[in-house]
Amino acid sequence: MGPETVSECTPVPGAGVDLSVVVPFFNEEENVRPQHERIAAVLDRLALRCQMVFVDDGSGDRTWSQLRAVAAGDSRVRAIRFRRNYGQTAAMTAGIEHADGTILLTMDGDLQNDPEDIPRLLEKLDEGYDIVVGWRHRRQDRLLTRRIPSRVANWLIGKVTGVPVRDNGCSLKAYRARLIRMIPLYSEMHRFIPAMTSLAGARIAEIRVNHFSRRYGQSKYGLSRIYRVLLDLLAIKTLLSSAAHPLLWFGTLAGAALLISLGALLAALVNPWSLPGNPVLISMGISLLFGSLAAFAMFSGVFSELVYWTGDVRIERLSEVTAEVLDGGIAEGGV
Amino acid sequence: MNGGSRPTVSVIIPVTERFDDVRELYFRYRDALRESGLDFEITYVLDGRYPDVLEALKGLLRDGERLRAVTLSRPFGEATAIMVGFNHSSGDLILTLPAYEQIEPSGIPRLLEGLREQDLVAARRWPRIDSRFNQFQAAGFHFLLNRITGLHFHDMGCGARAFKRRVLEEITLYGDQHRFFPVLAFHQGFRVSEIDVPQSPRDAHQRLYGFGVYLRRLLDMLSVFFLTKFTKKPLRFFGLLGSGVFALGAVLIVYLVVQRLVGDVPLSDRPLLLLASLLVVLGIQIFAIGLVGEIIIFSHAKDIKDYTIDEIIG
Repeated sequence: MGPETVSECTPVPGAGVDLSVVVPFFNEEENVRPQHERIAAVLDRLALRCQMVFVDDGSGDRTWSQLRAVAAGDSRVRAIRFRRNYGQTAAMTAGIEHADGTILLTMDGDLQNDPEDIPRLLEKLDEGYDIVVGWRHRRQDRLLTRRIPSRVANWLIGKVTGVPVRDNGCSLKAYRARLIRMIPLYSEMHRFIPAMTSLAGARIAEIRVNHFSRRYGQSKYGLSRIYRVLLDLLAIKTLLSSAAHPLLWFGTLAGAALLISLGALLAALVNPWSLPGNPVLISMGISLLFGSLAAFAMFSGVFSELVYWTGDVRIERLSEVTAEVLDGGIAEGGV
Repeated sequence: MNGGSRPTVSVIIPVTERFDDVRELYFRYRDALRESGLDFEITYVLDGRYPDVLEALKGLLRDGERLRAVTLSRPFGEATAIMVGFNHSSGDLILTLPAYEQIEPSGIPRLLEGLREQDLVAARRWPRIDSRFNQFQAAGFHFLLNRITGLHFHDMGCGARAFKRRVLEEITLYGDQHRFFPVLAFHQGFRVSEIDVPQSPRDAHQRLYGFGVYLRRLLDMLSVFFLTKFTKKPLRFFGLLGSGVFALGAVLIVYLVVQRLVGDVPLSDRPLLLLASLLVVLGIQIFAIGLVGEIIIFSHAKDIKDYTIDEIIG
């Protein structure tokens, strides 16, 4: 199984790209050209083989024709068009999957991130980190509907996942490609990428980045996100604590249920606490209910273990990606 | 049939329990298809053994008509019949038609024309000439469906649909899903629209179904709801539901315990405690089901594409 996994996360051989910049666009027709020019200006100064992967997330305006024109004029640009709108995570995921670089960098398509920050992110990555996350410390958004909810969300995400990143919502991030390709990204997981990568023992750094207010177009998010973030957080937390060893998680649940069941059974049969009234019926009922829960939890645990076993996302394999190897070579035998 | 660059239409007619005079309907469909100016091939798929239909089709073949008939060894359902017909077809455009008089065939060319802009065009029987009762129950069904899916369809019951080949190459229909085919196609990222087609006068009879049929429609809708909304995030849905049920049970238990401590009502005299425990257990179980689903998605996320790509340049 080992060699297969390695070939999956190594970039396409012969592509020879060091850095891929992934940018999703959704209804950003005015922003395509300026964004490309600004990124290209920065990449020209870097001594790296670079690539830009632009994803059109099913825009209804002229974003795609703009992207076509840009791709025609610059061989470093790869443009991907979705059949319809699938959301930012899907766009990022598609961009990441179609990027050839050994380092991947993601940023927003709405000109709110500053490409001038790219060299600083790369420097930080070179210091030995696996992920560098941008932190919009002077954020140019509305205080009440954007910044305060975001503060609360980030604080919560940090507390619950144990990865205190100050700005999970910032799209400007740099990753080692091998690592990010092994992280399952679906639904709206992009907000939890730092938490997900912490599973792999990734070294995460955070640096301050610039942030501009929107020049063109409409902001696509608002307050309604908070409730979905909370639900996602609940899901992520449970998932992260159980995915690698579901049987243990469900087994613990089953154990707790069994304890309650046995306690109630004791109350029904022996009544050691000399409960008043007629406790047998109700205690017996409770005992049976929790007994069935224990059985259900055990079966769910075994089933989940089976699912995890047959799946191709295995958390223990992530250890390979972030492991540091000190290799002194093979010792010579004899004299 | 001549070669050339004109697209070919493969017509699939699934034959299930309801069918009208095969011969007459065949000619009406054939004439309408000729009007469209496209090459076409007609495939009948008999979902089980229908000797009368087969005999009529053989008669048409003897008369020199060009058609194909596939007979399934037992009934597999309309969705499977359509898939079998699709596998026997070769056209760039596919058209499914009901084996009974449901629409006026004169609307067929317009269905096919609609494919210039759309990937799937579904016929909507309009104006309706059948009874108020039929229209009322159809309206109720579609109101529910549209609320659930957030789309705007009016006639899922009409079997006449034209679509491009790649739609069925990406979607596999099974069970009762043929009914919701436009919804599934839209969810897969295809451009889908409805076109008004006159209703056939013979389709106007009163339709009052058995209780089981209504129950099945409701379950179908539930499955479409999950297929389109929550396949990628089961824990979001089940987590919310489970937490809610759990919280209700927990509140009840707290209430009973407070009564025990303050009002000195013994817990063992409270059957409500059983209900509260049941809710707690049920809540945990619902949550656990969601977690199992989430683990399935998480550990198989590499196989499950969240998106469909239209085009890549460079």
